[in-house]
Amino acid sequence: MSTEIQGSSLFAITDNVRRRNLAEKRFRAYGLSAIAVGIIALIVLLSSVLSNGSGAFMQTYVTLQVELPADKLDKQGNRNVEEMKSVSTFGYTPLIRAAVVARADQLGWGMPDGMTPKDMGAIISKEAAAQLRRFVLANPDVVGMTVTLEMLANGRVDGYMKGRVDREIAALDGNVSPQQLDLVDLLVEGGNLEKRFNFAFLTSPDASGQRPEAAGLGVAILGSLYMMMIVLVLALPIGVAASIYLEEFAPTNKWTDLIEVNISNLAAVPSIVFGILGLAIFINFGGMPQSAPIVGGLVLTLMTLPTIIIATRASLKSVPPSIRDAALGVGASKMQSVFHHVLPLAAPGILTGTIIGLAQALGETAPLLLIGMVAFVKEFPAAPPEGFFDPASALPVQVYNWTQRADAGFVERASGAIIVLLVFLIIMNAVAVMLRRRFERRW
Amino acid sequence: MNDMRIAERATHVSTRKISATGVQVHYGDTHAIKDVNVEIEDKTVTAFIGPSGCGKSTFLRCLNRMNDTIDICRVSGQILLDGEDIYDPKVDPVQLRAKVGMVFQKPNPFPKSIYDNVAYGPRIHGLAKNKADLDDIVEKSLRRAAIWDEVKDRLDAPGTGLSGGQQQRLCIARAVATQPEVLLMDEPCSALDPIATAQVEELIDDLRQKFSVVIVTHSMQQAARVSQKTAFFHLGNLVEFGETGQIFTNPIDPRTESYITGRIG
Amino acid sequence: MVFAVAAIGFWAARNRAMTSADGDSRALHSLPNYYGTNAALSAIVPSLAVLALWLIMQPLLIETSVSKLIPDAAISEDTTRSLMMSDVRRIAHGLDTAIAEGGMTPDEATGLRSELTNLRERLASVGVALGSDVQAEVLFAAQKYRMMTRRASLYMMFSVLTLAMIGAAYAWSRSDKDFRARNIVEKAVLALLISAASIAILTTLGIVMSMLFETWNFFGQYEATSFFFGIKWAPDFRGDSALGILPLLWGTLYISLIALVVAVPIGLFAAIYMSEYAGPGLRAVAKPLIEILAGIPTIVYGLFALLTVGPALRDYFAQPLGFSGGADSVLTAGLVMGIMLIPFVSSLSDDIINAVPQSLRDGSLGLGATKSETIRQVIIPAALPGIVGAVLLATSRAIGETMIVVMGAGAAAAQLDKGLLEAINPLEAMTTVTTRIVSQLTGDTDFAAPETLVAFALGLTLFVITLGLNVLALYIVRKYREQYE
Repeated sequence: MSTEIQGSSLFAITDNVRRRNLAEKRFRAYGLSAIAVGIIALIVLLSSVLSNGSGAFMQTYVTLQVELPADKLDKQGNRNVEEMKSVSTFGYTPLIRAAVVARADQLGWGMPDGMTPKDMGAIISKEAAAQLRRFVLANPDVVGMTVTLEMLANGRVDGYMKGRVDREIAALDGNVSPQQLDLVDLLVEGGNLEKRFNFAFLTSPDASGQRPEAAGLGVAILGSLYMMMIVLVLALPIGVAASIYLEEFAPTNKWTDLIEVNISNLAAVPSIVFGILGLAIFINFGGMPQSAPIVGGLVLTLMTLPTIIIATRASLKSVPPSIRDAALGVGASKMQSVFHHVLPLAAPGILTGTIIGLAQALGETAPLLLIGMVAFVKEFPAAPPEGFFDPASALPVQVYNWTQRADAGFVERASGAIIVLLVFLIIMNAVAVMLRRRFERRW
Repeated sequence: MNDMRIAERATHVSTRKISATGVQVHYGDTHAIKDVNVEIEDKTVTAFIGPSGCGKSTFLRCLNRMNDTIDICRVSGQILLDGEDIYDPKVDPVQLRAKVGMVFQKPNPFPKSIYDNVAYGPRIHGLAKNKADLDDIVEKSLRRAAIWDEVKDRLDAPGTGLSGGQQQRLCIARAVATQPEVLLMDEPCSALDPIATAQVEELIDDLRQKFSVVIVTHSMQQAARVSQKTAFFHLGNLVEFGETGQIFTNPIDPRTESYITGRIG
Repeated sequence: MVFAVAAIGFWAARNRAMTSADGDSRALHSLPNYYGTNAALSAIVPSLAVLALWLIMQPLLIETSVSKLIPDAAISEDTTRSLMMSDVRRIAHGLDTAIAEGGMTPDEATGLRSELTNLRERLASVGVALGSDVQAEVLFAAQKYRMMTRRASLYMMFSVLTLAMIGAAYAWSRSDKDFRARNIVEKAVLALLISAASIAILTTLGIVMSMLFETWNFFGQYEATSFFFGIKWAPDFRGDSALGILPLLWGTLYISLIALVVAVPIGLFAAIYMSEYAGPGLRAVAKPLIEILAGIPTIVYGLFALLTVGPALRDYFAQPLGFSGGADSVLTAGLVMGIMLIPFVSSLSDDIINAVPQSLRDGSLGLGATKSETIRQVIIPAALPGIVGAVLLATSRAIGETMIVVMGAGAAAAQLDKGLLEAINPLEAMTTVTTRIVSQLTGDTDFAAPETLVAFALGLTLFVITLGLNVLALYIVRKYREQYE
């Protein structure tokens, strides 16, 4: 026995204790740094998404006086909309180009070498011609006049205004040149070019690969909303019914055991497997349409069920047996005691669990890829219930879709879409937390 | 209470081991210990008795600063071990607990082998030079806890596999192995059957040869059987403290008498 | 219609019950509404069951009988009977549309002769596109198909309604004051509850059956041994693909391993600190913050890997070291997945550590052990089974994770035939089982080609692996809980 503790003073800290206290400090530091790493990861994750995506909520608009010559747009001169439709979108592009050139000349633009009017017009989005055509066809009377029109700027110009593109990059980029950026600066000075909040990002549909500036989340939000409606309508009643059976009525037998095992395993099955299920059963076997919210909704319902069942059972379990006994004691049947007394008392917990389940379903991507929701959808689905069978996109899938595109402008859009998704999730979780706080009952 | 055997009185001259003065303990808003003064002597068994919730366990846990692990617990007053204040900021509770060991109400062997359970303390305190040394400590401790003969053939078996009485004696062996100066025992027999209780009590009497033992018990018979000094706690107050024989035969305070004769408790 | 019958049944039965009790509802065995509900259920349940059965059987029966109408000779070489049948359905549907839009009278539709009219153009004018001109046999079959369908629908409506009325009437006739309507209704509700609970089993069955069926097809076209033991993954839709699963499994396991190396120590230490050291203040802040990580959808992690982690690793780590890989790599996906798993590991471990009885902590501290010694030598060994279970669950999560690897790990399969160094380079892009399932099943797919069907075999493999891990983990955790209860 080497070290003698007995008889030594408490105040004399031995080497052994000093060493052990150091180890203790180290251990605590590991723990603290583990927590720090977790929190830092969260902060980096969120700030990277925010900094990449906040740009999507601002958009550069160009306001110009556009001349609408009657001889180009309405050759017959009778303002007949059917005849005016023969002028295609390409017929409108020169008008916009002319408007840019005219304004630039007003501001004293000296055309640099190697730049053509076509290059000048290219600072406006390709979407603008279509926008102008729609406007003219809707108001045939404006032909022959000069109108003030607000148009989307080209994606690269938008990037320049947000600091994503500079002259160095522009010199290397085939889609934009430093001269065009000089023109942009001139128009900014002239008050024709400004950044504003981008409502269209939330409302307009997706746009093709060359026009990130026009792409929006409208269809995706609607598609996600439809799916959430389906999930809510199916998963809540089925989940609650299943939980009531398992918690209140189920006898202990093989069948009940089988159900229990199945539920806990389904909760841990990889989500992509549910996608395979949806593809094989609902689409290939059941003949349902691809890309439709109904199929997505059904798949997400099956995925959400275990979550709802687990939450519901927990809140049913928290209702004390005395309530059941009281109801049975006044002559209610078992069924009546459950539906009249236990279920209402468990309702807040069930609701909270449902919202959390919905939030999970809202962010789910992988299974939706397999059932074809990744397709390019520009048309809004119809109102429900027919709309459930129309092709639509979904928020997380739209994000994935955008990341697969070549144009760098879509990266910003994808991150912006993530912010929208996260905002929805935060709202849902906040509601769940509030419900829990508000109705939490201690027995 | 007629057949109560009064433990033989301490014959040798006792030295003062722990002296507590003006100890107060608060649990949050609850005032659990009110101004307690106790002298605990070396090579003596001191029993703390009293009705449940009277604060005797709380006070015991103050003696090796186990209350430090409870966030809301505040201790004030002075507790001296060999004249040194154990609540001094410079004192490391780890070092203190090596000197003041503890055995708990419920047997709590670690989920390790019997050998590792006993070797745990010596290992962390670095008491053994080598394996042979450690083997020696383990054997001595197990012998001292009167369990060696029962487990010597299965030192590698898990400690949780023993019976309740064996587990408690294993825990005592584990506490003894760190060579403490004071051994605190918090109702060590409350989870045991009468035979195991008798074994442990015999052991406590043995341990007195080497240590100062403080035992909390709710059984007055047990206090009378094993202790030389007895302290009676009631509602956080130390009501009476003295020779065990005197407390049980001729209590001064009426509350002590009521408790001993079974009127309160 | 059925519901109207049910509603009438409801009121009639309710009234009859009330009358039988002379208007005094106290004399009834059950509340009046139960009698009504009983009648309504009697009307709805059998009739809807027949309706569902009919809707499934009708197309099958009609198809077989119509199919016989097309002689073998009419089937040209470049088509099959099933394709012809889909033409038949298309035309029949087109005729209906034409009538509905007023482009054709019903008589005209039944009397059409393909020699006389250009059906293709007429149908095109109402928006039904046909691939080719219509053969006489096909048109005849389509007309027959149409007629049979209409007649069958008529029969169906009639029989379903009759059944509903019989049901309602039967329940009505039984409604009197001694009839135990409540018990019947409650039995029906219970049946409903049981069927809701059984959906979980149906789902599992659906998963297994759908994948088994297609996997069976796949193994009909591609040898099972080459799938399970092939070390090369190179699908080629022109045929002659190499579809060995081993490179994918290696990629999956490698990425999961990195994820676990990140997540397990961090998650475990965070849980230990949170449950053993942290004061209530820190815990109230840090615990929810870390749990937020668990609520973030995987697509967000995928984007994080793609936009932030991947490029950062490439620019600050891979390139200075002289590797010229892209942003997609095993390390990227593994790191990000590790972050995703931190809260998963930490909350599970937190539960498990808290389940270790306080008496063990006391025992160790009472011997003069420091907190860290207590944790390392007493609490962790005591909690070990539970922690192993948690790690297994996390592994199953990592293996099944899709979006992070789709966006962060790249599409190239591990090249197991190029030597060890290539296979274990964490800066190399490597594809996984889940990534391949996504890419083989999205876009234009031909469900007869082994390159598509392999996705189902991959899915089944994934399902079996994760199921095994989950069952094992749940078993271990349950055993552990029992130990301390």
